Amino acid sequence: MTRVLIADDSETILLLMRTRLEMEGYEVVTATDGVEVIELMQRNDEPPPDILLLDAMMPRKSGIDALRELRAAGVETPVLIVSAHQDEMDAGAATDVEVSGYITKPIDFDRLFACIADLTRPGPA
Amino acid sequence: MLTGLAVVGVARFLQQRQGYENATARSYQVEIAARNRLAEGARPSAARAAIVTQQHQRQALRDDIDGETRDTALLVGAGLIAGLTGAALLFSGLISSMRRPLEELVEASGRLAGGDLETRVKVGGLSETATLGAAFNEMAEELQRRAGERDQLETMKDEFVLTASHELRSPLTSVQGFAELLMLERDKLSSKQADTVEIILDNTRHLVRLLNDLLDLARSDAGRLTIKPAPTDVASLVEDAVRTMRSQTEASKQALRSEIEPGLPQVSVDRDRIRQVLVNLLTNAHEYSPEGASIGVTAVRRGAEVEMAVSDEGPGMAEDQLEHIFERFTRGDAGLTQHVGGTGLGLAISKSLVELHGGTIEADSEPGRGATFRIRLPALPAAAANGGADEPESGDMDGLLADRQEEAR
Repeated sequence: MTRVLIADDSETILLLMRTRLEMEGYEVVTATDGVEVIELMQRNDEPPPDILLLDAMMPRKSGIDALRELRAAGVETPVLIVSAHQDEMDAGAATDVEVSGYITKPIDFDRLFACIADLTRPGPA
Repeated sequence: MLTGLAVVGVARFLQQRQGYENATARSYQVEIAARNRLAEGARPSAARAAIVTQQHQRQALRDDIDGETRDTALLVGAGLIAGLTGAALLFSGLISSMRRPLEELVEASGRLAGGDLETRVKVGGLSETATLGAAFNEMAEELQRRAGERDQLETMKDEFVLTASHELRSPLTSVQGFAELLMLERDKLSSKQADTVEIILDNTRHLVRLLNDLLDLARSDAGRLTIKPAPTDVASLVEDAVRTMRSQTEASKQALRSEIEPGLPQVSVDRDRIRQVLVNLLTNAHEYSPEGASIGVTAVRRGAEVEMAVSDEGPGMAEDQLEHIFERFTRGDAGLTQHVGGTGLGLAISKSLVELHGGTIEADSEPGRGATFRIRLPALPAAAANGGADEPESGDMDGLLADRQEEAR
C-alpha cells in the first residue's frame, strides 16, 4: 500500500486530506510542521513514506526548508509542495531544490490523486 | 545792499543745491523778500539805487540762470548716460549672475517632471535665485517624501492582499473540501441536503474565484503579474478551455461549438493564463446566454496574428456599456448581476493578461444581437512551430466527453 506523509499546520486540513486519501486507498501519516517531518523521516521502525505532501508555509520549519534538509541528507522521495498561491512558492524560492510538483489550495483532489499516482508508479517514471 | 546780494547769493546757492525749477522759484521769493526789506529800512534814494542794482542783479541772475540751465541739462545728460551705463553694466552683471541658477532650475524642473525625485539644485548666487533654489529644493523634498509614502502604502496594500488571500484560503480549502466530501456520499443525503451542499460548494467556488481575481489584480497593479510563455498550440489551448466549460454549457442545454482553422501557427503564451482568459470569456458567454443558445469559439489566422473569438447569443451591449466593459466590477447589464456568477473582475484581468502577452482584446456587440470578444496574439514564425500535426479538428466531441468523464471520476 502506498504511504503518504502529509504536513500542514491546520488540523482541519490534515483531517480533510487524510479522509480523502484514505478513501482513495492510501495509507496516511501526518505531521504539523517541518520539524515533525524530519523526525518522521528519521524513524526506522516504520516503512518510509512513498511520497510527501508538504505545506509551503508552516511554523517552526516550512515545508520548503524541510525539503531542502531532506534533499541535503540524500532523501530522494518525491515531494509535492502544497501552497496557498503561486506567490508563496515564488517567495519560498523552491527553485534550488528538486520539487516533484505543486498543488494549490483549495486542493483539486482529482489533480492531487493523479499526481500521486504518477509519482508513485512502480518502475522507471 | 550786502544783505540783498547775500540773499541773492544764497538764492543762487540754493538753486545750485536744489533742482533747477524749485530753486529758481525759491530764489525769486527770497529776492522779493530782500527787496521789501531794503524798501522798508533804507533811504528812498538808496532804496531806488538798491532797486536798480537789484534789477541789474536780476538781469545778471537771469543770464546766470540760462547758463545754469545749460549746465544742469549737461549735468543731467551726463548723469543719465553715466547712470544708464552703470545700470546696463549692473544689469548685465545681474543677468549673467541669474542666468546660471535659472538655467539650472529649468533643467532640474525638467528632471523632476521626468520623475527624478532626487533632483536638487545648488542654492547660491543672488539672494533672489537662492530663495528660488531653496523653494525648489523644498518642493522636491516634499514630492519625494509623498512619493515614498505612496510607494509604502502601495507595498502595504499588496502585502495585505497577499496575506488576506493566504489567510482566507485555508478556511476556504476546508469548506470546499468537506462540502466535496459530502457530495461524494450524495446517495446518503436527502435531496434537500444534497441541494444545500451544492449551494455551499457553488458559493465557495465563487469566493475562491473572487480571491484569485483580486490576487491577480493586486499583482497586475504591482507590476508583478508574470507570465511564463512557451510555444503553444492554439487548437489544443482552445479545446482545453472548451473542455473545462462543457459540463456547465451542457447543463444549460447550450451548444458550445469550436471552429479552428487547420494548420494555425503556434503562439508564445503562458498556457494556463491564456486558458484562463478563454475560460473567462466562455463563462461570460455561458452566463449571459439563455438556455438552449449557441456559443461559438473560433480560432483563425489574421496576418501575423492568431485571433481567437468567443461569441454568444446573450442580450448584447450598447456602445456606452462596451466602452467600460474592461473596467473593474463592470458588467454588461447591472440588472443581470443577480443571475450572473462572475466576479466582475474577469475582463479587467483578461485585458491585463492579453496585453502582457503583447496581444489585444476587444468586444463587439449590439443590444439584442449577442456579443463577440476577440483576442489577437502574435503568431510565432513557422520555423518555431515544430510538428503540431496532432491538432484536433473542430468539435472533437468524443475526445472531450472521454476527458470530462475522466475528470468527473
